[in-house]
Amino acid sequence: MGRNLDDLFVYPKQLLDEESLSVVRLVRQWSDREIVTKRMEYREGYEHLFAEQRKKLCIDIGIQKLTIPADLGGFGWNSPSKAPAMLALALEIGRADASLGVLSAMPWVLFLMVTRQRDHNAKQRSALASVYSEEAVRTPGLILTGPGLKGMQTPLFWGRSILTRAEQSETGFTLNGKDLRPLIAGGVADLFCVVCADGNGKPSIAFVPGDAKGIKRGPSIIMTGLNACGNSQIDFNSVPVAMENVLDQEGNIEELHTWVSLLLGGVSVGAAMNFFELLADWSESRTIKGGVMLKENALCASVLADVAEEIALARLLLCDLAGMMAAQADSRPETIRCNFTYAGMIGHRVQKGVMYAMNRGLELMGSAGYAKEWHVEKHWRDVKTIQSILYGVAAEAPIKMDTARFFYNCTEI
Amino acid sequence: MMHFDEFSRPEEYISPFDRHFRRLLRKTIEESIMPFRRQYDEDWKDHHLIEPAFDKIMVGLGLQKGLFPMEYGGMGLAQSDYFFRAGYMVCEELGRADTGFAVALGVTYWPLLVISVAPYVNERLIAEFAPMFCNSNKAVFAANAMTEPQGGSDIENLGLLGGKTIRTTARLEGDEWVINGHKLWPTNSGGVSKLFGVPCTTKPGSDNPKDFAFIYVPADLPGVTQGGAYEKAGMAADKNGDIWFEDVRVPSWYRAHGPGKDAEAFYQLIPFGQVMSCAFLTGAMMNLYERLYEFVSTRTYNNSPLKENDAIAGIIGRIAGDIDICRILGYESAMIGDRRNKPYGKPLISEDVVGRVRNIKDFVSDRAVDCFGKAMDVLGLYGADRDWDIEKHWRDIKIVQLWMGGKQLCQMEAARYFFNCETL
Repeated sequence: MGRNLDDLFVYPKQLLDEESLSVVRLVRQWSDREIVTKRMEYREGYEHLFAEQRKKLCIDIGIQKLTIPADLGGFGWNSPSKAPAMLALALEIGRADASLGVLSAMPWVLFLMVTRQRDHNAKQRSALASVYSEEAVRTPGLILTGPGLKGMQTPLFWGRSILTRAEQSETGFTLNGKDLRPLIAGGVADLFCVVCADGNGKPSIAFVPGDAKGIKRGPSIIMTGLNACGNSQIDFNSVPVAMENVLDQEGNIEELHTWVSLLLGGVSVGAAMNFFELLADWSESRTIKGGVMLKENALCASVLADVAEEIALARLLLCDLAGMMAAQADSRPETIRCNFTYAGMIGHRVQKGVMYAMNRGLELMGSAGYAKEWHVEKHWRDVKTIQSILYGVAAEAPIKMDTARFFYNCTEI
Repeated sequence: MMHFDEFSRPEEYISPFDRHFRRLLRKTIEESIMPFRRQYDEDWKDHHLIEPAFDKIMVGLGLQKGLFPMEYGGMGLAQSDYFFRAGYMVCEELGRADTGFAVALGVTYWPLLVISVAPYVNERLIAEFAPMFCNSNKAVFAANAMTEPQGGSDIENLGLLGGKTIRTTARLEGDEWVINGHKLWPTNSGGVSKLFGVPCTTKPGSDNPKDFAFIYVPADLPGVTQGGAYEKAGMAADKNGDIWFEDVRVPSWYRAHGPGKDAEAFYQLIPFGQVMSCAFLTGAMMNLYERLYEFVSTRTYNNSPLKENDAIAGIIGRIAGDIDICRILGYESAMIGDRRNKPYGKPLISEDVVGRVRNIKDFVSDRAVDCFGKAMDVLGLYGADRDWDIEKHWRDIKIVQLWMGGKQLCQMEAARYFFNCETL
């Protein structure tokens, strides 16, 4: 294609400081050198190359330590002011491989949640930091809210069911839950970050080591995409959790959703940007009507325009969200709620826009877009998987309810 | 629960074949395909699981001989006045389980209908190929080797380009055609087919339909080379690959009909392919309804079943509405095909039929892709799970929207027909 993606899909560069830009450049170099320019090799040797590249990214480049506080040996990007930089990184990694992007973003979310607590616990912080600073790739699994089962009354987070129960014990809490569905990595997580609720329905977030007693992992789940993320269902059978590993500050779950919407949005837009690159090359090498280059046919050009427009606008929207999060000066409930609502709206719009772009692009590529050889179908499957799991339940309906509550003060929905 | 059979279709369009055969076909599909379909993606290359099921459908139920006249042991569907509707029923039932199966069967009919459907009937070729399909106790497939490496959809755009972009050549030497060329992507390639229908040109670069030739090539002839199956996003039961023809010699009478007539008969493939595409899609959509019904009845939001929430009901209501409309349109497209021999019908090769049927297929494809995408989102965390089947259909049906020239060709056909565009 021969053009710089940042010159095409412009964004407010002032959101990134020089340090952030240098890390983003480094990751782009890795992505270009190791994956983007070696798609065929990467696909054919996926099982071992995925693990190899993940190690390079997490350990050699060090992005696993991105949000570990600087005083504990990390990059110190553990503040909302770094939201634009983290978004840029999620995008770069997603451009290479969405599974790597999603897995990379999860530890960032963990530390962001831990360090935002007003009375954050130094022991917990340093224990987590020490584990995530080791020379081994770590994988947290996130269990958020989702659909409940008919006949079961569950505590709710804005209508979504919280399926893990936390009962207070003398030393902390005991967790119980059946057939819990992590966003990713249920089968391989070494730490679970779990949204749970106590007997009064008060929600909180618990950190549970992957080898804790009472955790049962189900068989591997085969999914449309993101299969490298190794998901499976989880049962918690009286799993003990120390008091300091439960975060119960108001607004925690909203913030968790906000970060997940931003970062997974970045992963999807990154995947879409590589989709764009592949499509652009395609449109210059194929003809229609007996010799007209695809991109020079007005109808095909309008499809190509749709693809570019959706990706460009999705990136801008996410940058707006990241900028809004970075600029937040307080953590008052109304600020958190505002960010949560905007993250839901923008996250939803971004995933929808990116899927639309990819569907349009595949229409133009025809059968070739469908063959694994051309690599675009993997992006299409991965992003659809991200879109579906991000919704949690019932498509956009819960997000519409969040939006209606915010803008219209609805109280019954 | 409303049964999925209750999605609308005009009662008067239901063929006699439908009344007798659908129940038996469904039972066989539910026993031999549906319990195994979640494992088909991993079976894309070897077809260890897929092949036995094909034997049950193609041989056990006799569907591979469907087009051939009864005197050869066939079912005589091509000679009936409900050929399109019968095909629709079969492909819809198969599509409910696995669109890859439906495509493999439908495409086996494809090259054969060039010589079987009036007014383009070639008795000698029917007699020649009938034993291959009617006397076998293993599933036998045929393929239409159409697409070429450059300008893939151009061959399907025969009305506009007249075959001038075809690079596969047929040269008459004595009483044999000598064929050279390279084809991509035919359904039932990748080593599956025993017989290819090959669109060729007798004069490269010519847009005169008389220079278009449709020639049958048995797959085991010297000079025919098939590549391995492509790995794809879905459609594991349908193998696709490269085919090379290098100085392949076939008898001169393996040409379907001769100069001019070949192009006309070949053009019949387009409406048949579009109508069956609708059938694959509405079949899959009916299964979507079954699976979605189960999910929205058993999972909750706000501690009430999803289907009882007004906002969610708005989404799933639209999905069901779309399935209903698409099925009506699909059957209407089949009836357009079957009206061809009646006073108020139009020839299959007419712009009228091709334009309208392409239009319906384009609409139904768009709705199907949208409905499956939405249904996956309704399932949320579970939407991408193989176990809920919807994601498999979502992957499988995307290619239906893309093939046969894809959306853009459908749009151009519609514009040309409805607005008399002269330069498109």
